Amino acid sequence: MAWSTALTAVSAAFLASLVEVVEAFTIVLAVATLRGWRPAAIGTTVGLTALAGVVLLLGPLLARVPITSLQLTIGVLLLLFGLGWLRKASLRAAGVIPLHDEEAIFAETAQLGSQQQRVHRSLQWVAGITALKAVLLEGLEVVFIVIAVGAGRGLLLPASLGALAACALVLAAGAAVHRPLSRVPENTLKFGVGVMLSAFGVFWTGEGLGIPWPGQDLALLLFASLFLAAGLLGSSLARKLSLGFA
Amino acid sequence: MTMLKELAAELIGMFVVERRLTISVLAIVAMVASLVDFIGVAPLLGGAALLLGSLTLLVESVLRGARPPG
Repeated sequence: MAWSTALTAVSAAFLASLVEVVEAFTIVLAVATLRGWRPAAIGTTVGLTALAGVVLLLGPLLARVPITSLQLTIGVLLLLFGLGWLRKASLRAAGVIPLHDEEAIFAETAQLGSQQQRVHRSLQWVAGITALKAVLLEGLEVVFIVIAVGAGRGLLLPASLGALAACALVLAAGAAVHRPLSRVPENTLKFGVGVMLSAFGVFWTGEGLGIPWPGQDLALLLFASLFLAAGLLGSSLARKLSLGFA
Repeated sequence: MTMLKELAAELIGMFVVERRLTISVLAIVAMVASLVDFIGVAPLLGGAALLLGSLTLLVESVLRGARPPG
């Protein structure tokens, strides 16, 4: 395995997972602030256990699927996922849709809690379930990202390392600041992730269809540059368009 | 049950951010597959169509999102 290929997988999985882990961590933090660390920790633990079960179940199945079918399926899913993120990030950068704000998620979760203050036991349960759902949902997205980035060419290990590094970074940052991680420039991050996922999506889809990309893995750099340029162009045109309608 | 529904909705929502974009991407992939596998177009040409098609769809989708509805 070339180090450049492994590094691309690590960074793609790291950046994509970072966004998801920040979202999950913000919700867990909101639950812990409202109802204490016990329901948050229990919900998180159960969520992580369920997630481990999914990974153990999916892992052996992946080895039985033909590599081109896997590349095509994952490539198309990755392309849909990446273009979706890039579209939203471009529209946010253009000011057409509001920025996704982690403080807003925190406040929303907090408000949800205050409305149900009278039923203490139920709330503990609801708080635990809220943390569980956040960890499970965002965790599944991280698992998908790792599989998508790594399964096509035996890069599961570097992709997993990238995702683990993202978890470690968010946990360390969270422990240091004890606040929702609103300082992370989320839209910039999402823009970059969308660019990388879209580039991987085109690459894997092409490989699955038997297209011999010139330069092999180096083609990813060209694809990423083109998606970055297209996203920036779309964002700039969208800003002008929305100002014209205003 | 509600949680399973939410899980399914979340997972589907990962790929179907905008229905028209999703359908168009799937159509381009199907078209490239047909061109390469059945019509015998050079694979590299199919790859170029896939890349340029995806880039065009992205810009078009962003611009459509910026227009007011209706």
